[in-house]
Amino acid sequence: MLRSSRIQIRPRCAIKTTFKQVSSDPCFAPASFFSLKRLSTTRSHYEQLDSTKDIWNSLISKRSGLSKTIEDTNHRIGSNAEPSNKENVTTTSNGSLVNTSFVVKDNITTTQEETTSASQMLSNYKSPFNATVVSLLSAEGSKLVGKANLDELGMGSSSTNTFYGPVINPLYYKENDDNTKHIAGGSSGGSAAAVAAKLATFSLGTDTGGSVRLPASYCGVIGFKPTYGRISRWGVVPYAQTLDTVGVLSEDINIVEKVYRVLNQYDSKDPTSLPENTRQEIITTKTSDLSFLTIGLPEEFIIEDLSEEVKEIWVSVLANLQKMGHKVKTVSIPSIRHSLSAYYTLVTAEAASNLSRYDGVRYGYSVDDIQGSAHDMIVANRTKAFGAEVQRRILLGNYTLSSDSGDHYKKATQVRERLVKEFNQVFNLPHALVADDIDLSTGKCDILLSPTSIGSPPPIEEYLQQTEENFLNAYINDILTVPASLAGLPAISLPFGNHGIQIMGQFGDDDTVLALSKSLLD
Amino acid sequence: MLSRRLVHTSSRRLNKFKLDPNYKFKCGIEIHTQLKTRYKLFSLSPSSFYSSPNSKISYFDVGLPGTQPKLNPEALYLALKLAVALNSDVQLNSTFDRKHYFYPDQPLGYQITQHYHPIAKNGFVELKSEFDEISVPSKIINIEQIQIEQDTGKTSYDKYDKTIKVDYNRSNVPLIELVTKPDFEDLKQVGAFVKNYQTLVKHLDICTGNLETGAIRVDVNVSVNGHPRVEIKNLGSNGEIQEALKYEYNRQVQLLKNQEDIIQETRGWTGNKTVTLRIKEDAVDYRYVPDSELPFINLSSTISSDIRKSLPELPEQILKKLTSEPYSLELKYAKFLVDNKDILTYYYHLIQKVNEKQQPTKLANNWLFHEYLGAFTKLNIEVDMTILAASLLGDLIVKVGEKEISTTSARLLLLQLLQTPEDRDKSIDELIEQYDLGKPQDLSADELHDAVRDICSEIVDNNPDVVERIKKGQKNSIKFLVGLGMRETQGKVDAKAFTEMFKELLKL
Repeated sequence: MLRSSRIQIRPRCAIKTTFKQVSSDPCFAPASFFSLKRLSTTRSHYEQLDSTKDIWNSLISKRSGLSKTIEDTNHRIGSNAEPSNKENVTTTSNGSLVNTSFVVKDNITTTQEETTSASQMLSNYKSPFNATVVSLLSAEGSKLVGKANLDELGMGSSSTNTFYGPVINPLYYKENDDNTKHIAGGSSGGSAAAVAAKLATFSLGTDTGGSVRLPASYCGVIGFKPTYGRISRWGVVPYAQTLDTVGVLSEDINIVEKVYRVLNQYDSKDPTSLPENTRQEIITTKTSDLSFLTIGLPEEFIIEDLSEEVKEIWVSVLANLQKMGHKVKTVSIPSIRHSLSAYYTLVTAEAASNLSRYDGVRYGYSVDDIQGSAHDMIVANRTKAFGAEVQRRILLGNYTLSSDSGDHYKKATQVRERLVKEFNQVFNLPHALVADDIDLSTGKCDILLSPTSIGSPPPIEEYLQQTEENFLNAYINDILTVPASLAGLPAISLPFGNHGIQIMGQFGDDDTVLALSKSLLD
Repeated sequence: MLSRRLVHTSSRRLNKFKLDPNYKFKCGIEIHTQLKTRYKLFSLSPSSFYSSPNSKISYFDVGLPGTQPKLNPEALYLALKLAVALNSDVQLNSTFDRKHYFYPDQPLGYQITQHYHPIAKNGFVELKSEFDEISVPSKIINIEQIQIEQDTGKTSYDKYDKTIKVDYNRSNVPLIELVTKPDFEDLKQVGAFVKNYQTLVKHLDICTGNLETGAIRVDVNVSVNGHPRVEIKNLGSNGEIQEALKYEYNRQVQLLKNQEDIIQETRGWTGNKTVTLRIKEDAVDYRYVPDSELPFINLSSTISSDIRKSLPELPEQILKKLTSEPYSLELKYAKFLVDNKDILTYYYHLIQKVNEKQQPTKLANNWLFHEYLGAFTKLNIEVDMTILAASLLGDLIVKVGEKEISTTSARLLLLQLLQTPEDRDKSIDELIEQYDLGKPQDLSADELHDAVRDICSEIVDNNPDVVERIKKGQKNSIKFLVGLGMRETQGKVDAKAFTEMFKELLKL
């Protein structure tokens, strides 16, 4: 399936040697990269941008009272004359997130506006209930200011497959200059763009195979995908339910952490939510060890298609970590090579199943004059209201599930199991759910580190043209992010220069991922 | 004319149905049973069947985006009860799967069922000629598997509006699907199995047991001489099952006699024949996939014995008990009691009461089935065992047994009790006193005899035509005269005394 792609998924010795040099010489990295650590803001977003204009098309709907700047918004919280009693959750004025504003991806339900998932199918759908995550954030005093654009139903990595038009990456865009329109990444492109453009303090996205991390990386913000099962999916429109994870995006790691602490709790409404006792049992890396971590460098991520810039940043971050006193070593997780095909087998199969409910009978888009049987109506609704990429994935998934295709779903699940096993062999900590016979000898890793994306976001026109030529190209971007999704691991993308570096931890070890992120961004 | 003749011949053929020994009948059945849980299978909306359309639905029941299923443990418990009662191997690990197909009454676009790892396997039911209407002494019907699954909504077609209406109240109600091996060798066995099963699920209180309301839905599959099997879907009553099987067997035998092929297909029953619904080539590919949202069901290894301990006495054991000493009930009455648990409980209390006073069980049997249950019919009110306490009825029966009240008076008193709530707080002695129903005990035997003679003479004089008939040989007409005597004495005098007196007077 991937043979036609530009990417060869195998380690390249040359790069590997380079990293060996890194581990022997912490001062290898050119210092210039450290200055790229934070997004260089030549433009002052706070002063220049009028968020109600949303020139990046990052929002599908906005709540009235969306103010010019975050400060402005924050100022109005508590004294806002707009009646917010339509919201059936209470927004307190003394929660841990008071004076913050947020945007949620439009595949997370809210009662005040439509939850479209950027699909024509749900363009008229208003949910009767708020997602648990929305209620939790409102209860902590944060104010929802809008709902973010995305790739239709979460399917894509560009935020161009949307009924509401593509999201424009704020990191590159100069107003009225069409040549500066780059993709924001996806599928949570709107969520990433909204925080990059400072429309809100933070945003929520969903990450199925990198959908929070990749756009965060492209838009120069932080994108955190916690361990699968930590954050409730009640009210999250499913794409592939064994992978879908709510993630947090912001420019500020402290906000990311705060939001994560609010959302990290058991929800009895979600059967895949980690139960209280499991949460208690999870062993995390000891705080005392945090200053001397072993950072693993999966050699399967060293691929030809990484851009030179990305490679250099990766090297410099590693060097920096060594400087901080951490140990860096290369590790091997062979199943990463099979993870992309396993991933697309699983997500398309799960999506085909999950999207079966959209028939236009009870809610959602329905063609006007129905001719023929109920079946004809369902066919007409689905043919008209799903975009091309969604239809493609439904077809792929239904093929996988059909009795003629053999047992691809099972085989993909086996790849996933192997991958989890291999991760377990690499990490010091045991997996909280999978009891493996693990060799507990030391010298293994606490954290894995890789780039989040292979390069920079292409211009929208170029991207669409390439995808037209070969839609598989669009799938390649997921290679670096999919393994953590398949294994349910916590993973965060941190902005260095205009690129994202990904930190992954053992299942449940979110705290270490966040702690290391903070020290890296300090 | 032709069609009329066809109908005529076909119905005649059905009436005279017989299996042809040259064409071996083989049949298996699939039963869907609606569980009587308080809530639905994966949501907290009530399972209720008599509500206005779409009033008992939760977000999940109609497949709203962002909702997830949560297994109702009560459904699991009821399924386990049935599995154990049917001698099945409860699977300590079972899972849920998705079965995909599009239909307006299927809100998720798939049904959550147990395809790969069902809750129970390898059960059996033993039919016995002693209790079931079968022609061999004993017949084992093996059960392949039992699985838990969701029911769908209900669609109805509105002819006037030309619209399809969908009611989702039934959506996500828990069902059990039971599949037997093709072990049935004749129609009687099928009928006996279904009846037996209905009794069991009702008795275990896991289903209302009604075929007619759709609480139990039966599909049958039939093959003849090992040819491809044909499935007949959705049979709504025991009668329909029998008729459909007869028709289908004859159809297949006829095809074979004409040397035509039998194709594997699914057929439906129209009321007088089976018709093709879909052939195998058109079968839907259900694209089964594990439902990865629902956790596995892991049960402890002692679950079967734990459940068995919690089960009530099973129908067969009760039938055995009721048809032997001391109850000695006829099988039909015993079956009636098993099918009506409230009456069974009442019966046990009644017998205890009557036996305490050394009165025979037979008298109580008679009174319960004929007098008491008959009284409800006479008064045209619904049978309700809570109206009259078993102890009160027991006291009344004891009085009859002790001859302190005549049968006729007791009958009258019973009717009175059923209609007059305030009387139910009184004792039978008080009631006999109140209505002056006691035997005329203050009279001596001779005085009584004379009084009876006077009354009887008067009746004989006033009814010459009846007397004439009796003398001509219609001896039964004496009962009419006895009835008049009873009425005259308000039942205080035994019917036997009147009969003897009339015989004496009329010299019979």
